[in-house]
Amino acid sequence: MGTENPNRANNLQGPSATPFAAPRANMPISSSHPMVGSQTSAFRPTSVPAMPNASPFSSPGPTAGSGTPGFRPMQPGRATPSYGPPTTGPPQRVPAPQFSSTSQPTPSQTSHVGQPILPPSMRPPPPSYVPSVPMGSPPQSLYNAPSSNNPPRSFVDSPYSASGPNIQPPPSSTRPTYPGYPGMQSNQVNPPPPPPPVYNQGGYAPSQPPMPAPFSSHQGGYGQVPPVAPSSGMYGGGSAPPTGVMSGLAEDFCSLSLGSAPGSFDGGLDAKALPRPLDGDVEPSSFAGMYPMNCDSRYLRLTTSAIPNSQSLVSRWQLPLGAVVCPLAETPEGEEVPVVNFATMGIVRCRRCRTYVNPYVTFTDGGRKWRCNICALLNDVQNDYFAHLDATGKRVDLDQHPELTKGSVEFVAPAEYMVRPPMPPLYFFMIDVSISAVKSGMLEVMAQTIKSCLDNLPGSPRTQIGFITFDSTIHFYNMKSSLTQPQMMVVSDLDDVFVPLPDDLLVNLSESRPVVEAFLDSLPSMFQDNVNVESAFGPALKAAFMVMSQLGGKLLIFQSTLPSLGVGRLKLRGDDLRVYGTDKEHTLRIPEDPFYKQMAADFTKFQVAVNIYAFSDKYTDIASLGTLAKYTGGQVYHYPSFHSTIHKDRLRHELARDLTRETAWEAVMRIRCGKGVRFTSYHGNFMLRSTDLIALPAVDCDKAYAMQFALEETLLTTQIVYFQVALLYTASCGERRIRVHTAAASVVTDLGEMYRQADTGAVVSLLSRLAIEKSLSYKLEDARNAVQLKIVKALKEYRKLYSVQHRVGGRMIYPESLKYLPLYGLSICKSTALRGGYADAQLDERCAAGFTMMALPVKKMLKLLYPSLLRVDEYLVKAPTVDDEFDRVCRRLPLAAESLDSRGIYILDDGFRIVVWFGRMLSPDLARNLVEEDSATDFARNQTRRTTSGRVLSTLKFS
Amino acid sequence: MVKLTMIARVTDGLPLAEGLDDGRDMQDAEFYKQQVKALFKNLSRGQNEASRMSVETGPYIFHYIIEGRVCYLTMCDRAYPKKLAFQYLEDLKNEFERGYGNQIETAARPYAFIKFDTFIQRTKKLYQDTRTQRNIAKLNDELYEVHQVMTRNVQEVLGVGEKLDQVSQMSNRLTSESRVYADKARDLNRQALIRKWAPVAIVLGVVILLFWAKNKIW
Repeated sequence: MGTENPNRANNLQGPSATPFAAPRANMPISSSHPMVGSQTSAFRPTSVPAMPNASPFSSPGPTAGSGTPGFRPMQPGRATPSYGPPTTGPPQRVPAPQFSSTSQPTPSQTSHVGQPILPPSMRPPPPSYVPSVPMGSPPQSLYNAPSSNNPPRSFVDSPYSASGPNIQPPPSSTRPTYPGYPGMQSNQVNPPPPPPPVYNQGGYAPSQPPMPAPFSSHQGGYGQVPPVAPSSGMYGGGSAPPTGVMSGLAEDFCSLSLGSAPGSFDGGLDAKALPRPLDGDVEPSSFAGMYPMNCDSRYLRLTTSAIPNSQSLVSRWQLPLGAVVCPLAETPEGEEVPVVNFATMGIVRCRRCRTYVNPYVTFTDGGRKWRCNICALLNDVQNDYFAHLDATGKRVDLDQHPELTKGSVEFVAPAEYMVRPPMPPLYFFMIDVSISAVKSGMLEVMAQTIKSCLDNLPGSPRTQIGFITFDSTIHFYNMKSSLTQPQMMVVSDLDDVFVPLPDDLLVNLSESRPVVEAFLDSLPSMFQDNVNVESAFGPALKAAFMVMSQLGGKLLIFQSTLPSLGVGRLKLRGDDLRVYGTDKEHTLRIPEDPFYKQMAADFTKFQVAVNIYAFSDKYTDIASLGTLAKYTGGQVYHYPSFHSTIHKDRLRHELARDLTRETAWEAVMRIRCGKGVRFTSYHGNFMLRSTDLIALPAVDCDKAYAMQFALEETLLTTQIVYFQVALLYTASCGERRIRVHTAAASVVTDLGEMYRQADTGAVVSLLSRLAIEKSLSYKLEDARNAVQLKIVKALKEYRKLYSVQHRVGGRMIYPESLKYLPLYGLSICKSTALRGGYADAQLDERCAAGFTMMALPVKKMLKLLYPSLLRVDEYLVKAPTVDDEFDRVCRRLPLAAESLDSRGIYILDDGFRIVVWFGRMLSPDLARNLVEEDSATDFARNQTRRTTSGRVLSTLKFS
Repeated sequence: MVKLTMIARVTDGLPLAEGLDDGRDMQDAEFYKQQVKALFKNLSRGQNEASRMSVETGPYIFHYIIEGRVCYLTMCDRAYPKKLAFQYLEDLKNEFERGYGNQIETAARPYAFIKFDTFIQRTKKLYQDTRTQRNIAKLNDELYEVHQVMTRNVQEVLGVGEKLDQVSQMSNRLTSESRVYADKARDLNRQALIRKWAPVAIVLGVVILLFWAKNKIW
């Protein structure tokens, strides 16, 4: 490590021949097995940087009689242009020395092309090292140019830099030595084959990967281009920074010229140059890259994969330090989480900290003991779990234990993890049947949808179902399987609600199916002529609670008026414009009546999750109703001024998804982390049962939870911090399971590294949750300012890192990893939940959006914040062809006024609704074909007003 | 009236199924469930081999039958006719064996057959009321030798295990203490020996010393 850093610095600033030679001389000697150590993983990033640099040389490089043609196509398109200029001149100079020198090692090594083994690869260094000396400075000057692209630093500062030298060989040569990382090895081994002839040169790269021997070693690197290239997100300026990459500057930030740059006429900035996340969310590759056994980033995302080692670093980092967990994220086909059953043995856990066994635990003492990776306690291995270790310290039966190789795994829970037998999936519906619900058509759509979903409810044949309807009275339905028609019972005593029947209000769906269907068929007509405007919401809620408290389950509430009778009655508020901007503003966004919070607590206790569907065109106090969903792990669906002709499809889609998606019941979640780090706060829809136990009556793939952590000690001494999320739940099939996600992140001492490994998605997710929580106790203005301030501070801090060395006046600089952060920050401030003041969003809509955003997983959140905009008229005009063509023809457009052409049709999709925008100059034929005659007039009006939010045609669905 | 229904594997006490909303109106359902679990544990240790048994506990009574390595247990009011209770268990047994008989040995996780609870619910309802025609007819049938079923008290049953444990504990203690005793006795013996011969040895020593000194001087 010591040798490399200084060397690196020299290289960047003043090229000179000496630094070159010095480290290299050391390298061959030191590079070898011992170093490989557990750091293998760290190499990955390094090898990447290597290859872009190489490109300039290689292209001219005749070296590669074999290599050149091969890699060129592989090169990611974007990388080439930036290199273009520098390549032309210098390379010509270079090849000569390089070639002659390398020619010598080449032949000797071609032999082990296929299977480079360590010993040979160690030999090459000396010879090849000689040639590089003559090269002297030319290569370096050369080197600088491309390095503007400069991925490399990330590893230089990282704790693993020491191992840098080993980079090239590891893929193949470390294989035997590297027990812990089978996954990654295979990763790396595969790529090399393409450029085999050159690989041998790579073999000599053990000396200094990034700089010293650019030509040869990097060519070795080419083989790896394809696999890693897409990951560009994380590497400095890897992916074509927007405007000025300062070419001479070998730093890894992007910059954006703001204000009037000297020499330009128009002040202001070039809108086209602004970075826009048109590819959607890019997951950070470093997370999986450095620790291949980490769980997938769809389950757990850290705001930065580099954990700061000291308090001062934490405070300088400015952005929230935390994680976003989506324990049940949908998995693509073939990547299901493996299920492990320890049967009678009991689940293997650490004695002290209760950590579940995971890939990062180490077995010692011939396999009789294992060391917990989180608290470092040495645990005994039970007899049943014992297996011998092989020469490298791996268990011999590793391949039979997914829990020791995979970051995500599910354990079948033994009886100790059950307080009661696993509950059946249970759906209880509480339906408002007052006049507004009937008039809007909600009742009908809802009944139809539920009926169509009956077949797909999870957990058949145990699934239970029940209904309550209410207006000014509460109606219960006896659905006993022996009946043909449901019996309705009316309770009008709202002060002292009772359940008229001990059972049969909740019935087994498969047994009472005909009765349930009969009920759903008759429901809309039953209340057709209802003129009741009252709503006994509170009492009905209590009744539902009494029915459900036995088993728990999911309560779906369909509410279309303001609760007006009995306990929990609410009054109109939010009309008063004067409240906005004062200190009392936030009270509008918190529940008015403690009844709701109390009920939510009771529901959670009895494992009931509440989902609210609100439909009213008038104020319904979502702030209060939503509290029920918030503390029970539920969700709020809001359809302002619901009308069945317009919102039918949306309701149908969302309700069907709510009913049929795979759901985990009676769950609790806990996240554990290594010593010195502690989770301090949790953000999302749930109830905290104890300081760190999250109670979740129902969880599904659309729910994510964010948490922040802090350092407990002033200085972290460990190299790696581990995180483990454990979710204990009952699957719909009646199995009790524990889903465990484990991840490791390295501890760094350098602020720049933290920024480099930051994950915009997680940061944005966490920031928005913090902002929404803030809006519940402060003014909207304050919440927005807080977001902006955080981002500004972070960027300022980042600027400080670099502005000292370089002139960056008039430019905003930011790390590549956070290039979208300012944009998302603005989006947060403009989101429905936080934007403007009184007039900018209805209070209900604002609250509903807030509740929704608190639960969204990262990807959906980013989509909501920055919806995709597509132009479709060209596609529609063309004859329909193969399906996949849609993606090719319609690219996401930046959300800017310029991208809207008045002759086009655009679709804006934020994941919840689809807005179709018809341009003013759109050809009438096209418009008429799309929209039926009568609404065409309607649409013409919209057109003239040019409202973007014209018609919501959620029917238009694209794959 | 049936209050609780539980089905478990006898070999290791693994719960296989349980009636779901059991214990709805009981305050102390948890307490009795714990007792049932303790009972299962006892059974898995190979005690109380009787295949039919009634065990009194508080105001209630457990009835269980063991067949095919599975224990079917229900808890009823004391007043509930024994005959009906066993008939109920018999019904459960027949259905359970029909549905899951071959999977019982391979079940690896608790409540592996939780789906059976729907049948338990249904059957329970049939037995809810002792005065229905169907149940009265059953009461009159002399199908089972129910009156021969032994009735014991739960403390007794659960106590057996405890007492055995105590006895083995005590004997263990006895062994170790006797070992200590033997050690101590040996020690004491040695000390006695020393005390007895020490003066003689000292006197002899002095005498020899004197002799030696005398020889030296002269």
